[in-house]
Amino acid sequence: LIFVSFQTVCRQLNSTLWLNVGGRSIHSSAVCCKNRAARIRVGKGDRPVTYEQALHPHQIAHRKGWLSQHTSNLQGEDGAADRTVEDLFIRRLIYGTFHGCLADELVIKRRGNLLVICALMLQKLPPHKYYFLVGYTEELLSHFYKCPVKMEIQMLEEKSVYKYL
Amino acid sequence: MTASMRIASVRLLSKTRHYFSSEVAVQPGARTVHHQPASTRFVFTSVRCNVCLIPVAFLHKGRAYGTQSSSVTVTEEPDLLFQKLSVLVKSHDKAVLDSYEFFATLAAKELGLTLAKVFEPPKNIERLTLLKSVHIFKKHRVQYEMRTHYRCIEISRITGSTSRVYLEYIQRNLPEGVAMEVTKTAIEKVPDHIQMPLWSVQSQEKQGSQ
Repeated sequence: LIFVSFQTVCRQLNSTLWLNVGGRSIHSSAVCCKNRAARIRVGKGDRPVTYEQALHPHQIAHRKGWLSQHTSNLQGEDGAADRTVEDLFIRRLIYGTFHGCLADELVIKRRGNLLVICALMLQKLPPHKYYFLVGYTEELLSHFYKCPVKMEIQMLEEKSVYKYL
Repeated sequence: MTASMRIASVRLLSKTRHYFSSEVAVQPGARTVHHQPASTRFVFTSVRCNVCLIPVAFLHKGRAYGTQSSSVTVTEEPDLLFQKLSVLVKSHDKAVLDSYEFFATLAAKELGLTLAKVFEPPKNIERLTLLKSVHIFKKHRVQYEMRTHYRCIEISRITGSTSRVYLEYIQRNLPEGVAMEVTKTAIEKVPDHIQMPLWSVQSQEKQGSQ
């Protein structure tokens, strides 16, 4: 089995293009050189974008950190699928509970049994409603996942813009 | 929620531990770290420092200095001895491992433990090559990788009670996304029935019978 990586395919295509400089030929290929995962394409320059959104996924561990920190993806550890499903559920639940109030993506950390959800919020609701919603999510999630759940939120006045794309 | 790195004295060590046992939330359904002072035994003479184990019920009462006279039991049974205590930590992030290594070595030095080796085993990269598209386009794939960095701290000639204290401290302050594997090599007394070789016993018996 020979795996042909997209990089070698691109190089082959580029080399063929250079070889055909003199002549004219129609070449058609599927769009292979583009990656579209977790990227916001450059546009007119009027769209504000946060640091998290602006950097592409190949910058993780270089200029970006991790949004979900647990040990199940390490060598010799298991439970990766369960943690991923839990993370997705938590993200959707909190996106819905604090609708329109989240400034950026959640950061989910697991320390032993403890699940810590760190969120950046905008000042859209009065504080007593935030306190209630935080307590409600903590209680609900701790009963659902049978582990202590803590939410650490930090308030911002508006979304922090890194650049305009 | 990271422990203070400035461990000036052992008293501060017990103080930081005191804070940590209050911060970890304990709920009825949750799995908690086993920490019951009544069941732990200390051979007090072999441990250089006064580490006091504070019962969970008394955490919010008074200051840490007032808990010097806590339950430290001295028993007759001998303490386990370990030739080597090997702590291997793994993580995706090398910077986190660097800082944790600094913390663990500092804690070991403060407790007076002998650090035999502190080294970095080579990293392990697990690569996956998957199809980029949902349907057809077999020639176009996407590659992901998962990097696991390691750090190993080896401590030699440590007693069982000290190792329990050190490991509890280290493990309470483990950052998120870091896994730890502990390997202990114990020293035991040679059993009586193999102290003398069998052939010498048999030859003695033969001489005795003759």
